Amino acid sequence: MNLKRDEIIRYGTIAAIALAVVAPFLLANLYLLNLLTLMLIFIIFASAWNLLAYSGQGSLGHAAFFGIGAYASTVIAVKSGITPYITIFLGAAVAAVVGILIGLTCVRLKEWFLAMVTFGFAIIVQTIAVSILTPITGGWDGIASPRLLSPDIPGYQLIEYYSILLITIASVVMIWYILKSRIGLAFSAIRENEIEARAAGVDPVRYRLLAFGLSAYLAGVAGALEIAHIGYITPEIFGVDLSFLPVTYVILGGLCTLAGPVIGTIVLTILWEGLKMAGLTFSRYIIVGVLLILVIIFLPKGLVDLPNQLHKKWKHYKNPKPDQAPLQE
Amino acid sequence: MYDIGILLQIVFWGLYAGCIYILLATGLNLIFGVMKIVNFAHGEFLMIGAYITATIFFITGFNPYAIIILSMLALVGIGAIVERLCFRPILGTSKLNEIFLSIGLIYIFTNSAAMIWGDEWQSIKSPYAGITVPIGSLTVPLDYIIIIFTTAAILCGLYVFLRKTKTGREMRATSQNRKGAMLVGINVERMDILSFGIGCALAAAAGTLWVVSGQVFNPYMGSIPAVKAFAIIILGGLGSIPGAIIGGLIYGIAENGAAYFLGGVWKDAISFIILIIVLVIRPTGLFGESGE
Repeated sequence: MNLKRDEIIRYGTIAAIALAVVAPFLLANLYLLNLLTLMLIFIIFASAWNLLAYSGQGSLGHAAFFGIGAYASTVIAVKSGITPYITIFLGAAVAAVVGILIGLTCVRLKEWFLAMVTFGFAIIVQTIAVSILTPITGGWDGIASPRLLSPDIPGYQLIEYYSILLITIASVVMIWYILKSRIGLAFSAIRENEIEARAAGVDPVRYRLLAFGLSAYLAGVAGALEIAHIGYITPEIFGVDLSFLPVTYVILGGLCTLAGPVIGTIVLTILWEGLKMAGLTFSRYIIVGVLLILVIIFLPKGLVDLPNQLHKKWKHYKNPKPDQAPLQE
Repeated sequence: MYDIGILLQIVFWGLYAGCIYILLATGLNLIFGVMKIVNFAHGEFLMIGAYITATIFFITGFNPYAIIILSMLALVGIGAIVERLCFRPILGTSKLNEIFLSIGLIYIFTNSAAMIWGDEWQSIKSPYAGITVPIGSLTVPLDYIIIIFTTAAILCGLYVFLRKTKTGREMRATSQNRKGAMLVGINVERMDILSFGIGCALAAAAGTLWVVSGQVFNPYMGSIPAVKAFAIIILGGLGSIPGAIIGGLIYGIAENGAAYFLGGVWKDAISFIILIIVLVIRPTGLFGESGE
């Protein structure tokens, strides 16, 4: 059973990557290609948020890191003329430094307190961007950002898509390695029981800061990519909507799993666009909200857990003897 | 350097802005005390209260201050439904779930309101708009004075309810020790619904006061006052109602001061700067109990 499961996961991953590679040829539509590119970017963003949640810290202000990465990348690219392919990672480094600084104020805080501070932090950053930093950021009007590739190159959308696909896969693989390593173990130990983790020799402060830095870095990469893709940036990027988005994706997909953010982003993007095509505007938010609440109440482990739950129901249906449920850890 | 009159004016405006925050924060605190959950979607109830007030006002033309009772009653019902359907199933699970669930509620309420009432900014005109009362060297709008007294009256009513009635005593018992309350035969689930409903009614009162003071409102306006209210109860200590009142006044005054001295864009940021500074020094808030 276990081996079979591993195989399903392995083939599923290969199939998903293969599908992502051939998707542009199947769709052959610039609107959908653009959508797919944005979806990849949000997979990075949601995975970054999930990495922080993995260490037990739920942030409600990840748009701050998304926006800082984007602004830093843009400003560096504009001032120095370096291609966005490099500035994306430099801008994200700025986001990571800020992330560690915020992490320093948050190490003693948990749950609601942490959520509040991160939420407030996004608002503070937005305020600073439109007041003190206006000469650099262009205030509420925003500034133009260098594109990832010049639109003069034939087929630039396709190259951009594949570049972003590569970065997305690299990010997810990186997160996979982190979660598999001692660092990942330390993160989950802190999440589950901080006192026991400390007793086992894990320094919570160090690992929490590390989680903040890594998560902010990846969120910065996602932000810088989005802006390099769109070509324009305004302080709206620090908005509440963008902070809630990765939360919605991850909860729907499955909190604290590697596949959760990926699946959540894909499912929600498809649902979102489907509802948009059906002509719904406000009501699609209501549908997503209801779905979110239903998932939290009935599927606490998210959509990735749905096959397991169905399997259990099916077994129970075929063999409805009580007390036959296998012991769960 | 600055005119003392202007400083007094800022303090008075802050007092008025603080009233709305106090009502929101007291409601949140009441819910937290009894259920030990935090509802981030609390501002959405303020928004619904504001729209209910405006709608009834447009249809009937009643004095908007009288509508406060209707909007509070309506929100008791909505709050009870939300508690029963959404929060009760997740009681006792991971604390982060409440935050995530609130995000779902925010989506549902803001967009339902946008579907029903449209998403443009609206405002109504209070019957007392333009009337000012001189107090010492200050001239203050009559509306502000009525708002401050209404808030005080609601808070006194809440105090009497919690101290003198049987239900209020049961509610306080539940908030002090849930298991103990169960043991002496208090129906704690009834207390949950009741406290959630009352908390929502306080938010609705805040919404009505928001509207009658002539402030604009739209379906998306709820989240900032709610997180500020939440920041206030963190500042004042979770579960401490005097803390909520003092915190609300501090925030109202600080915000108006910041808007005057630093410029309007700092209005929202200043409250979070205060919050972060307080939390860095005292992770449990100014009046919170020590420990986890």
